[in-house]
Amino acid sequence: MAITSDQKNEIDLFHKQVEIENPSDIIQFGANYFNRRLELQRGFIKKQENFALSKGISLFPNDMAQDPMSTTHRSSSAVNFKSPFVDQDPHSIHSGPHSNNSSSEPFKSNFNVTTESKKRINSPMDPSQSNDDPSAGSNFKRSSPHPSNLSPIPVHFNAERRTSVSGETLQPGNFDDWTPEHYKEKSEEQLKRLEKSIGKNFLFNKLDHDNKRLVINCLEEKHVPKETVIIKQGDQGDYFYIVEDGNVEFIVNDAKVSSSGSGSSFGELALMYNSPRAATVIATSDCILWALDRLTFRKILLGSSFKKRVLYDDLLKSIPVLKSLTTYERAKLADALDTKYYEPDQVIIKEGDVGENFYLIEYGECQVTREDKGLLTTLHKGDYFGEVALLNDLPRQATVTASKKTKVATLGKSGFQRLLGPAVEVLKLNDPTRSSRE
Amino acid sequence: MMETHAQYVDYLPTKEKQETSQELEDTAQQQQILYQKAMNQEQPSVLQQRSTVSKGKYTLNDFQIMRTLGTGSFGRVHLVRSVHNGRYYAIKVLKKQQIVKMKQIEHTNDERRMLKLVEHPFLIRMWGTFQDSNNLFMVMDYIEGGELFSLLRKSQRFPNPVAKFYAAEVVLALEYLHFNNIIYRDLKPENILLDRNGHIKITDFGFAKEVTTVTWTLCGTPDYIAPEVIATKPYNKSVDWWSLGILIYEMLAGYTPFYDTTPMKTYEKILHGRVTYPSFFNSDVVDLLSKLITADLTRRIGNLQNGTQEIKSHPWFSEVVWEKLLSKDIETPYEPPIVSGVGDTSLFDQYPEERLNYGIHGEDPYEALFTDF
Repeated sequence: MAITSDQKNEIDLFHKQVEIENPSDIIQFGANYFNRRLELQRGFIKKQENFALSKGISLFPNDMAQDPMSTTHRSSSAVNFKSPFVDQDPHSIHSGPHSNNSSSEPFKSNFNVTTESKKRINSPMDPSQSNDDPSAGSNFKRSSPHPSNLSPIPVHFNAERRTSVSGETLQPGNFDDWTPEHYKEKSEEQLKRLEKSIGKNFLFNKLDHDNKRLVINCLEEKHVPKETVIIKQGDQGDYFYIVEDGNVEFIVNDAKVSSSGSGSSFGELALMYNSPRAATVIATSDCILWALDRLTFRKILLGSSFKKRVLYDDLLKSIPVLKSLTTYERAKLADALDTKYYEPDQVIIKEGDVGENFYLIEYGECQVTREDKGLLTTLHKGDYFGEVALLNDLPRQATVTASKKTKVATLGKSGFQRLLGPAVEVLKLNDPTRSSRE
Repeated sequence: MMETHAQYVDYLPTKEKQETSQELEDTAQQQQILYQKAMNQEQPSVLQQRSTVSKGKYTLNDFQIMRTLGTGSFGRVHLVRSVHNGRYYAIKVLKKQQIVKMKQIEHTNDERRMLKLVEHPFLIRMWGTFQDSNNLFMVMDYIEGGELFSLLRKSQRFPNPVAKFYAAEVVLALEYLHFNNIIYRDLKPENILLDRNGHIKITDFGFAKEVTTVTWTLCGTPDYIAPEVIATKPYNKSVDWWSLGILIYEMLAGYTPFYDTTPMKTYEKILHGRVTYPSFFNSDVVDLLSKLITADLTRRIGNLQNGTQEIKSHPWFSEVVWEKLLSKDIETPYEPPIVSGVGDTSLFDQYPEERLNYGIHGEDPYEALFTDF
């Protein structure tokens, strides 16, 4: 790497000095020389300190924060805040009358939150870092005793910088001509068993029946001999695995952490995005595995999500009372729809009840009945009911009962109102037939 | 909602500014219509009329490359100094090969485009881009105060008014982005810088995207990802409001509400949605957070009828004078200790430097992928 001009200047200066003084012990000379440079520079900055503070800039926020010899200053220093807003904070600590604050203190009110700093071990190399030394020359107040209502930061919280993650950008609109690469029908017995294996995982348990079967039928059978490294810690992950038969062992940083056998699964994070494997997995016997790659999985998931979205949009468009909504408003409703499942014979809405929700049928079958007239009609996928509840508070005019297992998307009047405003007004406002004279 | 539109006029290029101010002199009703139109996507946002071309403006020879300010999955950010005006800038360098390998071509091109478009006091400014055969370069302002992340970890947690100050500036930045149909998607303390006066600058537009309807890509930072993104649902701007909730929580508590030992466990917690608020949280903020960190989109504040206005008029923000804040007319809670004018980097952590291979112009297998740079 090329050195910067600042570095070069410093080296040139030193070079010149060596030429002038021609020292016999170059190392001792260099050490003394740079210590002197440091002293000069710091002395200069120190002189600027009061001026800087009057401008609100603190050059030495932690006594030695500018000290290049100190590497621990950052974690052991206190941060002092001014309050731009009225303090309503129960856990802030105000500067009390005992404060030995200098008059140059630029802060309106002081908040001391680094309550942990005293617990830290001060650098033995740097006695001036001691927070307990009142002669340390700080312009800032030191930590107050730990208030009892402040719990410490949990030890398991990762306080390091967090890496962003991202899956591949897929366009679910053009999956129509896509077929999964490793599609192979599994036997009914296999399906049941595999369904059980993945059942508890949140990635799979939201899938509907058809998609779950599709995913399982896309599992690719893999035979690995004993001692095979199936995945390696730190490698990029693209596959999720289910153990059909055999045993595997998990190793993190060369230490065995656990093992598992038939029916277990591992590597599921790879189904979300590409990230380094957290552990190494080794076959401790000959194994039969099922593998699923991320692209296949996400395409199935996204494809179904997209179809559902198109269905919602079409349905919302087809409901006369919602016809006047703009694309944007319709999208907001579609995003907020809640899905519900009904078993056969379960009543969804009941004649005479006060209506709140409207329903779109995603799949299944429902019967609409009335006390006086009996069965009125049967509703199927793509039908809707209850939409009048958005506009008025009349009791339900009929009972709707699921006659097969039914999945509905639903939204209530109050949800509608929170999103777009009072339904009556929103729907009227957008109605193109509404008179403009109002 | 009215002020919302007027505020942005100051940050639009002159041409639009004149036209828009003309309109603003009209009645409040017309302003309402204008805003409503924009909100309803019936007309493209003003940003779409702005040029995103920045080719050939800079080269590597214009800068002297200095220390590394940060590293990421695709490259690193350097402090640089212009050989012409002696000023300091930050250059983000992305390795083309790494971008392609991680399948982030689209996000990278979006990042450049979004950065070129946006102009707001609380968003980082990009001056231009260039490339060699291995890398992409983005020239940006050097923001000396370091990351909000460093300040937060050093303080462990922020007092209520301090968290409120940073949150309020973030709200204004998000409001501007959303008004222009841009979702940010990666809010976290690591991506918020502090300028020399202590105001925020949101940086890293790696996942920012112009979206008028919905989008599908799973991205963000595990602790901050909204449940609808994890559940592979189509999503929109409201994911940023979720993340704002997490950010405010982290600033006040010192840790995030759904943290766990593995990302999968975190995602499970996010989907489960149970949040425990520490007893020292102020009751207003608990109310706000419970409305931000909710999976129910009909209850997530910012996504509702009155949009961002509802967040801005929430009791927790009651003492914030938004117009003053936007014009940086409010004193910041913390002024970073900076030695001015010398490219002071004391507030940035140290990263191991590596041998640089910048400036090679040879065979480039990815030439066709990044023609905008």
